[in-house]
Amino acid sequence: MSKELIAKSVEELAPLIKNKEVSSLELTKAVLDHAESQNESINAYISFTRKQAEETAKQMDKELSAGNYRGMYHGIPMAIKDNLYFKNEVTTMASNIHKDFVSDYDATIISKMREAGIVFTGKLNMHEYAWGITTNNPHYGACRNPWDLEKIPGGSSGGSGAAVAADMSVASLGTDTAGSIRIPSSACGIVGLKPTHGRVSKYGCFPLSWSLDHIGPMTKTVKDAAGLLEIIAGFDPNDPTSVNAPVDRYVEKLTGNVKNLVIGVNEEYFFNNVDAEVEKLVRAGIQALVDQGAKVKEVSIPALRHAEYAEMITILTEAATIHHKNLQERPEDFGDDIRLLFELGELPSAVDYLQAQQLRRQIKLDFQKAFEEVDVLIAPTLPIIAPKIGEDLADLNGQKVDLIDHIIRFTGPGNLTGLPALTVPCGLVNGMPAGLQIIGNVLEEGTVLNAGYAFEQTNPMKGRKPGFASSLQG
Amino acid sequence: MKLSVRERLEDQGISVKEDHISVLEKRWQAIEQMKVQTKDASLADYDISLRNIPGGDHIE
Repeated sequence: MSKELIAKSVEELAPLIKNKEVSSLELTKAVLDHAESQNESINAYISFTRKQAEETAKQMDKELSAGNYRGMYHGIPMAIKDNLYFKNEVTTMASNIHKDFVSDYDATIISKMREAGIVFTGKLNMHEYAWGITTNNPHYGACRNPWDLEKIPGGSSGGSGAAVAADMSVASLGTDTAGSIRIPSSACGIVGLKPTHGRVSKYGCFPLSWSLDHIGPMTKTVKDAAGLLEIIAGFDPNDPTSVNAPVDRYVEKLTGNVKNLVIGVNEEYFFNNVDAEVEKLVRAGIQALVDQGAKVKEVSIPALRHAEYAEMITILTEAATIHHKNLQERPEDFGDDIRLLFELGELPSAVDYLQAQQLRRQIKLDFQKAFEEVDVLIAPTLPIIAPKIGEDLADLNGQKVDLIDHIIRFTGPGNLTGLPALTVPCGLVNGMPAGLQIIGNVLEEGTVLNAGYAFEQTNPMKGRKPGFASSLQG
Repeated sequence: MKLSVRERLEDQGISVKEDHISVLEKRWQAIEQMKVQTKDASLADYDISLRNIPGGDHIE
């Protein structure tokens, strides 16, 4: 029973908890037992917080007995990426330098999740300081992809992707600066949403790149992501980039009706140099929505040709600025890969950085022009399939290409523009998951989620789960 | 006189790992090549969104 229980999504578990068919404590213990037993293989968790989790779960059960149901996430156990601050607890950023860092306040989203009744089971592995896409962490060990333990789960939120895919956490959160929610979600076959920049407060999240960072849900289903977004979205005066706009009822918006939805397809950038099998799955996904009444329109976004340069200069420079002092004073305490990226980030000039921001504005305006004609854009989330742990190159239609440069090609524009972007699993290529990316207009998370929900209803994964997790069911 | 990658970093008080030098030079060269491709962008037409918000972070 417990193996079946932990495989369920939040949307399946919520009514069971609400109707007291399953207690939060029973569920929490089951998830923790499974996660602790599998962590040696997958290494998704950096630390467990069983004692606090069981206490909170008991409290949630007690509240429910007293007639207080907090909503969809009441009593749901969840582990969190280890760059979000919990008051009086260690938050490591998966680094050596911050290995003993204790915040004296909760991140805004952690406070919101506590209020929603979420039970925290532990802290999840990630690429050190979120500056990378492999989650091959020199201090806490490599996190492994549950679909193939020799392969990367993606990153930087690799622990979140692996934990949700392997049922070690019912849902989770990621942070995304060039694709760090969508890359591991795609690589691990789960749903990941990067909301509009400013939609979710970043107060209490250790920054990688101020103008590109986002926080968002990583979940088993689109409805789970919609429910979690409702909890964590909203204005926060403590975050200088926070947007003061009303929060939608995203779950209610999931009608699955995409009749007359206009899907934009940009061939020149988003379908250029893509793994042929990934491309087939994404085009089939678009067709599945067309079969439900959506329309397709080809759109031009000329400034995208500058996206890779603008993303690279912005992220390198902002990240190097944040870590400048430690790079001067204790460089040997950084992992070798990110030390190199920080060194590289010291090279662009102020003019380079500001010109990159000018290019970024050009890209934003071109996207806005495209959204005058279409409701969403659909593209592959990644042009490649996750490679083996330790490889710097990936296979792209028989050619070996630089992993980091290519894996962020289709996700980076969402960070530059700040537009919402969702990845939904769309099938398997050689046994590894691929993702279909839906990009929306500013604050149009509802439209994006509904398109993703309609696609999800076509069952593109055909019920397949990672061999690692399914072998444990029974 | 063009400074090397090592000299530029050392000027900023950063001690570069020896085996990073050749990788850094290669990667910086690749970025410079990408920059060349931005020369056709009419940057003068694009104001940037760095904002000077009076009174703090948000005008409420």
